[in-house]
Amino acid sequence: MTEANRTRVLPGLPPQVRRVREPVVAIGVFAILALLPLLFSGYVIYILPQYMLFGVLAMSLALLWGFCGMLSFGQAGFFALGAYTMGLCVQHAGAVGVNAAYLALVISMAAGTVIASAVGYFLFSAGVRDSYFVIVTLALSIIAEQIAVGQSQITGGWNGMFIPRMELSLWRWKFPLDSDASIYYVIVVFVAATYFFLRWISRAKFGKVLAGIRENEDRVLSLGFKVPLYKTATFAISAGLACMAGALYGTHAAFVAPSLAGVLFSTEVVVWVAIAGRSSLLAALLGGIVVSSISNALSAITPQYWQLVLGVLFVLVVAFFRGGIAGAVHRFAAHREG
Amino acid sequence: MGHGAMLTLGAYLMWATTKMGVPFVLAALISALGVGLVGLLLEHIVIRHFYGEPLETLLLTWGFFLITTELIKIVFGTDLREVVNPLPGSFELGTVRFPVYRSLVALFAVVLIVAAALVFYKTRIGIRIRALMQNAEVASLLGLNIQLTYKFVFVTGSFMAGLAGALISPMLSVDPYIGNIFLVRSFFAVTVGGVGQILGGTLAGSFLVGGMETVFALVSSQVVAQTIVFALAIVILRFRPQGVVTSR
Repeated sequence: MTEANRTRVLPGLPPQVRRVREPVVAIGVFAILALLPLLFSGYVIYILPQYMLFGVLAMSLALLWGFCGMLSFGQAGFFALGAYTMGLCVQHAGAVGVNAAYLALVISMAAGTVIASAVGYFLFSAGVRDSYFVIVTLALSIIAEQIAVGQSQITGGWNGMFIPRMELSLWRWKFPLDSDASIYYVIVVFVAATYFFLRWISRAKFGKVLAGIRENEDRVLSLGFKVPLYKTATFAISAGLACMAGALYGTHAAFVAPSLAGVLFSTEVVVWVAIAGRSSLLAALLGGIVVSSISNALSAITPQYWQLVLGVLFVLVVAFFRGGIAGAVHRFAAHREG
Repeated sequence: MGHGAMLTLGAYLMWATTKMGVPFVLAALISALGVGLVGLLLEHIVIRHFYGEPLETLLLTWGFFLITTELIKIVFGTDLREVVNPLPGSFELGTVRFPVYRSLVALFAVVLIVAAALVFYKTRIGIRIRALMQNAEVASLLGLNIQLTYKFVFVTGSFMAGLAGALISPMLSVDPYIGNIFLVRSFFAVTVGGVGQILGGTLAGSFLVGGMETVFALVSSQVVAQTIVFALAIVILRFRPQGVVTSR
């Protein structure tokens, strides 16, 4: 790999200067995000963490879709599961003696992982793939939404559920996250940690096997890899992360409604990731943040035309630019380099 | 994946045409033809370049779904629309009361499925479609126009979805999202029944999915019923991916 790079680089310039690598850009992005509360205050700082969590949701889909070639229409179901878990834990687990929000984060991640492992292994071990997997995840998302609506004694039904803001605690020390800036930093740290965790996974041997599955599943299978296990693990990690992001979203937004689990939100995530670029974690993260910010800004002015533009953009990207914006940037950089 | 939107579109066209005073049967035909035309355009402009790439086709048709839903919202608004039931009232058979319109539509659906099966198994176009399904390359070597056959199938599918939307519209309030739930239901009906088994598969699949939902709805709530049926459909998909009805 380094050999190949070196031959392409002009003499006199070290490779590091000519190629800006993704983690460098990512560190820059997180640094900017960390500095924002010093420059802005008010609504921007209040709303941005929610979009960052949408970005984590987008990354969880990029792991599944971009790296392993499995498209899920059910990520929002896991996100909402996390948010509802946070609500229920804070309401009922106050007596246990530990911080209910910590408990909720652990439980939500465990719940997402367990459900995804069970459903995933059940399906992958029989070779269910491609469109069938999409439809199953679509059904999961519908089931999640219907349970959220139907079990109103637990979830509040259409009215949704109110969730108190969490607080950080360590032994005797307690720190309420009531101010927008304090929870902002907690979420920035979570998002950055998720990014580097997923990047590490994708660069490890595990990630290489996933890429192999994406490119040619049968060949990887015949090489002796236990493909169903790899796929199940990927789906489980992805779902666990989506659930944790959802739990943080619940405590930040202080409110969950069934539409968070719905098919429309699920597919919105797919649209973000497709447009931003499915094979780059950073692109997925930024896609989640940027597109949902624009959606919010424009929904006040022209909600319907914006959705229409998004739909048209989605079709164009799928038809002509598989790699999305990230793919285009990558190609442009490669072209400049010669 | 776009068929949900086609069903919705059929229902809205039905609402618009009946509103203009077009007689019911003619209005249903116009709606179905309209949706068929949309299907033809979609196939010709986009889909035909993506045969052989199922996941991309699925995403494209989903994009079509998003766009159509938004266009419907822009043109018709998001309020609920009612289509007047052309045959109100019901008849009694023994002790059970049947609503006239629903019974007629059910009968018509069965006739349509049988007709589709006859076309599929007894006509030249049917044998071409089956050849295409089994081995597209060999079929094209034998002189079959693959593009045209795919187009015919896609447009007929759109026409049927539009017709379904038009006929279902008097039974419920029409809103831009009615297609959603029917999309998953019909997909499961097809997979549970068996892909490519038009007569036995579609009938068995629809009866299993629809029937179980009704039965479970009797003992618990509608929502729980739907959840159970979806879960069962996933289980069937796992153990019999070829469907309940198979040719061998």
